[in-house]
Amino acid sequence: MEQQKTFVEDIERTLYDIRNEDHSVYKTERGLTEEIIRDISRQKKDPAWMLDFRLQSLEKYYRIPLPVWGPDISELNMDDIVTYVRPGGKMAGNWQEVPEEIKATFDRLGIPEAERTSLSGVGAQYDSEVVYHRVQKELSDQGVIYTDFETAVHEYEDIVKEYFMKLVPPKDHKFAALHGAVWSGGSFVYVPEGMHVDIPLQSYFRLNAAGAGQFEHTLIICEKNSSLHFIEGCSAPRYNVTNLHAGCVELYVKEGARLRYSTIENWSRNMMNLNTKRALVEKDGLIEWVSGSFGSHVSCLYPSSILHGENARCEFTGVTFASRGQDLDTGATVVMLAPNTSANINTRTISKSGGAATYRSAVKVTPGAKGAKCLVNCESLLLDEKSRSDTLPVMDIETDDVEIGHEAKIGRISDEAIFYLTSRGIAEEEAQAMIVRGFVEPVAKALPLEYAVEMNNLINMELVGSMG
Amino acid sequence: MEKELFSTLPVPTWRWLGVNEVYLPEELQTLPTPVRKIQIDVPAGQHVTQVIANRTEQRTEITAHVAEGGTLQMVQLQLLPPDKAGTCNVEVTAEKDAQVYYTTAEIGASRVLAQVKIDLAGDGSKADMAALYFGDGTRSIDLNYVITQTGKKTEANMQVRGALQDSAAKIFRGTLDFKAGSKDSTGREKEEVVLLNEGIRNRSVPLMLSAEEDVNGQHAVSAGRLDNSRLFYLMSRGLDEKEARKLVVGALFATVLERVPDAELREKISREVEERIEHGQR
Repeated sequence: MEQQKTFVEDIERTLYDIRNEDHSVYKTERGLTEEIIRDISRQKKDPAWMLDFRLQSLEKYYRIPLPVWGPDISELNMDDIVTYVRPGGKMAGNWQEVPEEIKATFDRLGIPEAERTSLSGVGAQYDSEVVYHRVQKELSDQGVIYTDFETAVHEYEDIVKEYFMKLVPPKDHKFAALHGAVWSGGSFVYVPEGMHVDIPLQSYFRLNAAGAGQFEHTLIICEKNSSLHFIEGCSAPRYNVTNLHAGCVELYVKEGARLRYSTIENWSRNMMNLNTKRALVEKDGLIEWVSGSFGSHVSCLYPSSILHGENARCEFTGVTFASRGQDLDTGATVVMLAPNTSANINTRTISKSGGAATYRSAVKVTPGAKGAKCLVNCESLLLDEKSRSDTLPVMDIETDDVEIGHEAKIGRISDEAIFYLTSRGIAEEEAQAMIVRGFVEPVAKALPLEYAVEMNNLINMELVGSMG
Repeated sequence: MEKELFSTLPVPTWRWLGVNEVYLPEELQTLPTPVRKIQIDVPAGQHVTQVIANRTEQRTEITAHVAEGGTLQMVQLQLLPPDKAGTCNVEVTAEKDAQVYYTTAEIGASRVLAQVKIDLAGDGSKADMAALYFGDGTRSIDLNYVITQTGKKTEANMQVRGALQDSAAKIFRGTLDFKAGSKDSTGREKEEVVLLNEGIRNRSVPLMLSAEEDVNGQHAVSAGRLDNSRLFYLMSRGLDEKEARKLVVGALFATVLERVPDAELREKISREVEERIEHGQR
């Protein structure tokens, strides 16, 4: 029997492809030199130690070679990337002060609405500088600090100095070194001992200028027995020049604390998303990652969890959707260092229209991690014959007292399922979208409602060619 | 002297895991070691059985071609002395409707490198692979198995069973590679490894690569120590712990060993594994 193919329209991106005129007041020279780093540091009024840190990172950046594995990033020419772009506006204390043009873009992406409804704080990053930032008063009264990273460097210098790039040291890889040299913007969150932030904090990152890189730094510290849900969303308008995103996220989950870190990334299709995310989890702590990767041209994203204390846990839920022109290499790493640590990794990947999706992971159990448990489940769906899907997990176990399980499946939507749904009067496109939504349901249900809706809309846009 | 590459992971990953490639053991490189070459041709429609119990050859290369509708049943048992390193490289091509039954056991040698590549080139071809390894003492085992599915309606099955004790170290790389055009193909891969004490190192790398939508692929790995409740049950029936371990490992290996056509060889391997669980490495 000749199998029926569903024609799948490519994503409708108009909402995300609004491009504003470039009104930036300051841009560095192209390429990366010591002078540029000093320039950035001067502009930011860095303390001396930060300038030293940047320069040392630059040295490492020159020395470390590009990775030999993963997607092809040869079209990335660092000399073409303007590393720092400062938008034409000062830090704004409230929404009304944000420049009209920038505000309009954020309005279209629905940021203030999100805040008005349920989110307790919004830090929106426009290019490299945070232009709008607010935390509900009661939170700051309780000692929760939520601020942009530049402010944190000055106002909470001791904390930043203690934690900044200790978890992701610049020597880790070339793009971590680059980040250490040129980082700009980002969020700083400090949750004091025993404090439960019961409404999610949200930050929205966005790139505007063509050929600009974005290197925001996120540092979250959850003290003993505290809890937090942090949401990071990413979107950018499309340009012809390659854009680079090499952000860095460092999460410290102290004894008994819980942190959920959710991301829906929908970068434009010319973005190189080479982001590094890492969490250090102490005794009885829990890190929950929820990760949706929809956009970008190339992504390398593997949030890693270092389970450092006894009974520390990691839950990872991820979905990756690769379409035409996309090579999305995503996954997770877990390092188990203490007894009775556990990890649960659950991912779904979808490839269509010539897109390539790779699930890559590493689970390392060190000799001291007696009683460690890790379960990995990844499923991949291929929607047509032009696309690719690869699964590359590694398990490295150095003690006997473990339970390690890994399962992966790869395949297509069954004709029977489509036939069943169409025989019930559902159009074929919609039937396919329904099945894909069911496939990613484990991720959707881990997200707050409005993000689950956004993710479903992204899937509908991919599959049906409209907002459905 | 430049190190000689023996095998590589079909798609590389992070270097810190040390699984991307393996080089020839030094002792085989410094002392020129003769390579025993075996060529097997299975004519169309014929059935060939080949059993190799290797006790002496440190380097073996086997190439096999299975013509249309042919069947190759190959058993490759590595029983080298415990102070010798060994390598074995096997490449099999299966034409239309050909079947390959490949069984292997890695029992001996101080350090062993084994690579098996089966190309299901023809439509309707099939590979059924079963492997076992037993690592103890300071033994090091490095395996790289790749089944490539090029033809339509191909079928791959890779079952690997292993046990590690003392300070043995093992890397298993198992790849199912669905090439574009391998429509209506299926692939299954499973590794089960029992870890008998602390101090071992087990690395498992199951890869599944697909450039074809119309396939059904699955892989799984499970690693852990002997189930305490099962051990307790056996011991409550009067077995001591070592006896119980022997029984559990024996059961794990049974499905692979029963594919060895020679009863004497089967018995020899079972006995050796039992003795090494009982007394440690000879």
